[in-house]
Amino acid sequence: MAYTPQFYPGSTSVGINRRKHMSGNIEKLRDIPEADVVAIMGHRAPGADYASTHPPLKEMGEPDCPVRQLVAPTAGAAAGDRVRYSQWTDSMYFAPSIPYFRSYWGAINCKGCDPGTLSGRQIIEARERDIEKYTKQQYDSEMTDVALCSMRGCTVHGHSLRLEENGMQFDMLARTEMGKDGNVYAVKDQVGIPLDKKINLGKPMTEAEAKKRTTIFRFDGVPMGGKIGARKFDEAIEMTHHMWEYRSKWGYRPE
Amino acid sequence: MAVKHTKKLFIKALNKKFGKDFDLASQKTEYKRLGPEQSARKREFMEYAKKLEGKRGMTGYNPYVHAGGIPLGQRQLVPYKLSSTEYVVEGDDLHFVNNPAMQQMWDDIRRTIIVGLDMAHEVLQKRLGKEVTPETINNYLEILNHAMPGAAVVQEHMVETHPGLVDDCNVRVFTGDDALADEIDAQYLIDINKMFPAEQAEVLKAAIGKTSWQAVHIPTIVVRSCDGGTTSRWSAMQLSMTFIDAYNMCAGEAAVADLAYAAKHAAVLHMSDMLPARRARGPNNPGGLSFGYMADMVQTSRVKPQDPVYVSLNVVAAGSMLYDQIWLGSYMSGGVGFTQYATAAYTNDVLDDFSYYGVDYAVDKFGGFAKAPKTIDVAKELATEVTLYGIEQYEAFPTLLEDHFGGSQRAAVLAAASGITSAIASGHSQIGLAGWYLSMLLHKEAWGRLGFFGYDLQDQCGPTNVFSYQSDEGNPLELRGANYPNYAMNVGHQGEYAGITSAAHAGRMDAFAVSPLIKVTFANPGLVFDWANIRDCFGKGGAREFRAAGERSLVMPSV
Repeated sequence: MAYTPQFYPGSTSVGINRRKHMSGNIEKLRDIPEADVVAIMGHRAPGADYASTHPPLKEMGEPDCPVRQLVAPTAGAAAGDRVRYSQWTDSMYFAPSIPYFRSYWGAINCKGCDPGTLSGRQIIEARERDIEKYTKQQYDSEMTDVALCSMRGCTVHGHSLRLEENGMQFDMLARTEMGKDGNVYAVKDQVGIPLDKKINLGKPMTEAEAKKRTTIFRFDGVPMGGKIGARKFDEAIEMTHHMWEYRSKWGYRPE
Repeated sequence: MAVKHTKKLFIKALNKKFGKDFDLASQKTEYKRLGPEQSARKREFMEYAKKLEGKRGMTGYNPYVHAGGIPLGQRQLVPYKLSSTEYVVEGDDLHFVNNPAMQQMWDDIRRTIIVGLDMAHEVLQKRLGKEVTPETINNYLEILNHAMPGAAVVQEHMVETHPGLVDDCNVRVFTGDDALADEIDAQYLIDINKMFPAEQAEVLKAAIGKTSWQAVHIPTIVVRSCDGGTTSRWSAMQLSMTFIDAYNMCAGEAAVADLAYAAKHAAVLHMSDMLPARRARGPNNPGGLSFGYMADMVQTSRVKPQDPVYVSLNVVAAGSMLYDQIWLGSYMSGGVGFTQYATAAYTNDVLDDFSYYGVDYAVDKFGGFAKAPKTIDVAKELATEVTLYGIEQYEAFPTLLEDHFGGSQRAAVLAAASGITSAIASGHSQIGLAGWYLSMLLHKEAWGRLGFFGYDLQDQCGPTNVFSYQSDEGNPLELRGANYPNYAMNVGHQGEYAGITSAAHAGRMDAFAVSPLIKVTFANPGLVFDWANIRDCFGKGGAREFRAAGERSLVMPSV
């Protein structure tokens, strides 16, 4: 019988959304032009050649290696691209994705990438044309809300701060802004360098939509452990208890 | 259901920070982007930097070079309330460079060494035929308190140190022998009966027995010029010279070598161990300081033993400042970021609120401190309840979340409250540690984020070392320290581990955690830092009310 990955426990919307992010079965909500994604990433000018750190693999005369025969290189690796990054900051106020689930998405679904998880930011590094593809997938999908999530290479401060009055996540460098037409515009790249033109990222999710798509447990959304005086444990807690107990007991080993 | 504590202690601090009429529950706000001018301290910095411009002949402090011209203060720059005190200071005032009390806390540790007297007395009596009586001991202590600051005793034409520069130096003795203690001149005695509650005094005296010890605190200015490794050398030289003077000995005969060894090296307790070469520090530097010793240095347990949470939180404060701000933040790394992590654990009454909530819950459930079974199930129940409570507070009070704006701050506080609760409830530090790690895992699972990269290693792998007794993996928490393999890299942990260590013993109402000698030594009223009131003393330092030792102004032209 073929194994079907379960990915994550729980029957709440948060559990279901976490499974979607991990499995890669995510809904596409928008289509931001590739050139715009490249401009926001800020590593190369849209249309410019990719910088490379080595010749294409085909020209390198690689050794006879069973692993190389088994694993086909990504497009970026085959071309010899340098490794670049995209980094996201997701608000704790019901942003659809959260750092570990962006990382799980990357690690499970994106070949040749290196995710890194922190509290206020999440980075994925990969060969340049590969990371551009992965970044566009994230930008276009339900993993991202353009008001509650933003690409921030540095000065990422904002995930835990109250929202601006217009519902935007705080950004010290103001890399995005809410337009009068209700669309969110990118005005600076990842590291805060002004863009040549404003990039329309589309309309943000409504609060109800964000709550529906979020992967964060919160007491005012889907709580993980019920409330004070009325505890009700989600399966996520039971799973965590199980892992913790087994890790603790394994470490004892009094032999 | 066992839920008692509903005080929300942090609200007072939030009102002081954000303004009394501020809506603390709103998830939205207007960011006015007022820049550094909104902070009195930043204004002071800018004004001072302007004064220095001509003098230095080169540029210096200028907040407008930050982030390509976007200065600090795009959000509200809020002050910090030292937990359980009335002190409200700017964040800048809690960087150890700006806070003389914090510097003095560390100086008081590294300038301290404990040296036994008994073996030296035996050599004097048996090898050299000298008589040792309470009178000779008092005479010796008078000479020693002349010599230890840096004065000559048997030589001619010697240089000496200015008494005004070294006035913090002192040596007092202590013993578990009441009869001997009665004979010691009161000015040279750490009186255990006077300094500790009666029950604690009896335990300490029984543990120390008839032995006698010198609590040596060399001048602050010496360790600031040299380092902690100097303390044993400085102390040893002055001790042996004093013996020669006090007991009219020959300064050259071979027998003196026996005395020198007995007096200087045979019974010596450093405050911390030497570190391996890759970290390149001698003894009496912070990296080798165990959590148990740190718990014993803090004296809150003798002035407020009935409140084990308060005791533990003062240890957390001391540990966070030393291990995070000075050790990891400066010795091992550098810069200013570590202060932000560390202050979360001792400001704004947040950790206080979470810990009192947990301990009240445990007391209701198990009938008192240290009454719960020492089992993994107790850690599971308590750490889960405390973590969920704390998470809910961050969610219900967005300004609280904004106050602890980094995941590492929140992780440290939630896990510390869980660990302190589990340790006080069970009276066992390893149960506390188990609670710490469960909190970390639950936190990560709830919010899909934890701290910075290092938390992946230390906290997600951590449960495996809690109960391990394989020597390279495990240890009772009391004996672990800043250099424990898995603990050597992460801010927001070591002070809290010291607090959990303390919590187990505070819950049991123990007189000390690991070492009765350390506990009594830091009860010395001659120390400059206030070891019973850590957070209050940090507040004094931040408010510019604290006078540190080791200053050089006496021998310099005035500014």
